[in-house]
Amino acid sequence: MRDTFVATLLEAAKKDRNIILMTGDLGYGVLDTFQRELPDQFINSGVNEQAMMGMAAGYASTGKRVFVYSIGNFPTLRCLEQIRNDVCLMNNPVVIVSVGAGYAYGSQGYTHHALEDIAVLRALPNMEVIVPADPAETAELTTLIIASKKPTYLRLGKSGEPTIHTTRPKPAPGKINEISPGTSGTLIFAGSVGTVAIAAANALAAQGISVAVASMPYISTIDIDYLEKALRIGPVIVIEEHSYRGGVGAAVLEAMNAANLHGAIGLIAADQNNLSQIGDQSFLRTANGINVDNIIAKFNALKVM
Amino acid sequence: MSDAVTPFTKAADLALAARHEIISMTSTAKASHVASALSVVDILSVLYTGAANISPANMGADDRDIVILSKGHSASALYSVLALQGFFPKDWLTHYCTNDAPLGGHVTSKGVPGVELSTGSLGHGLPYGLGIAMSRKKSGAKGRVFVVMSDGECDEGTTWESAMIANHHELDNLVVIIDRNKIQSLTFTEDTLRLEPFADKWIAFGWQTQTISGHDYSLLAESLSTQTGPKCIIADTTKGKGVGFMENSVLWHYKPPTADDVTKAFEQLSENY
Repeated sequence: MRDTFVATLLEAAKKDRNIILMTGDLGYGVLDTFQRELPDQFINSGVNEQAMMGMAAGYASTGKRVFVYSIGNFPTLRCLEQIRNDVCLMNNPVVIVSVGAGYAYGSQGYTHHALEDIAVLRALPNMEVIVPADPAETAELTTLIIASKKPTYLRLGKSGEPTIHTTRPKPAPGKINEISPGTSGTLIFAGSVGTVAIAAANALAAQGISVAVASMPYISTIDIDYLEKALRIGPVIVIEEHSYRGGVGAAVLEAMNAANLHGAIGLIAADQNNLSQIGDQSFLRTANGINVDNIIAKFNALKVM
Repeated sequence: MSDAVTPFTKAADLALAARHEIISMTSTAKASHVASALSVVDILSVLYTGAANISPANMGADDRDIVILSKGHSASALYSVLALQGFFPKDWLTHYCTNDAPLGGHVTSKGVPGVELSTGSLGHGLPYGLGIAMSRKKSGAKGRVFVVMSDGECDEGTTWESAMIANHHELDNLVVIIDRNKIQSLTFTEDTLRLEPFADKWIAFGWQTQTISGHDYSLLAESLSTQTGPKCIIADTTKGKGVGFMENSVLWHYKPPTADDVTKAFEQLSENY
C-alpha cells in the first residue's frame, strides 16, 4: 500500500513541481526513488515531528502541496496541536500520510500501533480522513487527494496487502465502494482489515447467508445514502482496525444520528484493554476482537432482533 | 468602512501611538497581557515602518516579507500597529475581545488583514515561518520571514528543533527576534527554566546572533537590514516598557488596566516619550 502511494505520488510530482514530500526521517527503502528522482521536492526534516508539521503548514501556505510521511502515531499524535492550529485552522493543504495502520507493525510493540489516530484526527476542523482498503484504492485515492486542496489524513497499511477490489475501484469523495453485493446484510470496513471482512462474508456464505462487502475510505464525510439502502437489506456491521472510541464505527453512528437514520448496526473494533500484547498483525487483530467469529456473532445477534 | 489612514513612517511615532491604543484597548476589554504588548511594540513598530517589506498595498504579493508574531498573547500590540498602519479600520480596536468582533485576545488571522498566522499556543510561529522561508529558498522566491518570539517561548522544544533545521538548510531569509524581557507566565525566566547563556545557545546552533536593545529603533532597524544566514536578534526589553508601574512586574502580565491606571499610564507616556 505504501509503495503504491509513493509510486503514484512520484508520477504526479514529476508533472507538478509544487508537490513536496517531507519525512521525519522514516521511509528507508520506500522513499529512496522519490528522493533520487526529485531531490528538490524531497525534504528529510530529521526526527522532529512537531517542528516538521509546523514547517509543513508554513511550506503549504506558499502554494505548495506538502505530503508529510511517517509511521502511525508520529505524524499524528506527536504533533497534534501543530496539525490543529497550523494545518487545520489555517486551512493549509498539508497531507499527512501515516503507515502502519492499526496493528500493521505487529510485534514491534504498542508504541507503533495506531489505534486512536482516526478518532483524534477526524475531530479536527477542515480535516479529511481517508483510509484506503488496498493498493488499487490507494492509487485512486492518492490521485483524488492531489487534486483536492484540503488538509488530509491518509492512513495506510504497511506493505504486502492484497488487492481486494476485483475490478478497478472508482472511489469518489464521501462515497462507499461496494466490492461484492449481498442480499441479507452488509459488512462495511475501512482499511486493510477488509481481508477479515471478506473472510467473514465467505464464512456467512458457507452458512447460506449472503452479505455485501464494502470499503468506506472516507471517514469525515459519511455516505448516508449507501447506509440507508444497506440498512433496508439487513444488518450492517462496521469493521475497523482502530479503537471503538471515536473511530470509524463511531463516525457512522454520529452521521446516522445527524440524519435521523436508525437500523440494526454493529461495530467491530479493537478492544482497548489488551494494549501490551506481543504478536503479529493477524494475532493482534484476533486477540483484540477483530475476527471472523466476532463479526458473525454480531451479525447473527442483529439479524435476530 | 476603512478610515483614511496616513501610515507612520517613523517607528518611534508609531510605537507611541500604539502604546496608547494598547493601554486603552486592554482596559476597555478588561484583557490581560498589557505589559507583554508594551514590551514588544517597539520591535513591531520597526518592522512595520520599513524594516519589513510589508504594507496593506503588498499583502497579496508573493514576494512580500512575512511577519509572524509567535507570542500571540501580545495581540493588542500587533493589532494596534496594523490598525495604525492602515491594514484594517482603527475602530476595530475599540471592540477588542467583544462578542462577534474581529479581534480576539490572542492573534487570529481569520478575517484580520495583515495577520499571517493565528498564534496563542507558544512555539508555533518559528516552525511555520521556517516552512515559508524554506519553500522560498528552495524555489528562489524573494521575501524574508521575521518571527517575533517571547523568551519564555524558548522553553518549547520546537524552538530548538527549528533552530537546527534552519541552520542545516542555511536559511538566510529567516530572522528570529526574541522579546527578551526576562519574565514569563509565573515568574522570571531565569528562575523558571534558565535560558542563559542565551546568545551562546543560538550561536552554538549556528545562527548569526546579535544582542541589542529591543527599544532602540535605529539599532533594531540596522540589525534587521542585514543577514548572512539564519539570524537571531535577542532584543533586550523591559516588560511594560514606558509605564513605570507596569515595568518588570509579573502582575501586569495579567492585570487589565483600570480607568485610573489608564490616566496614570498616559501621563507617564507623556513624560517618557
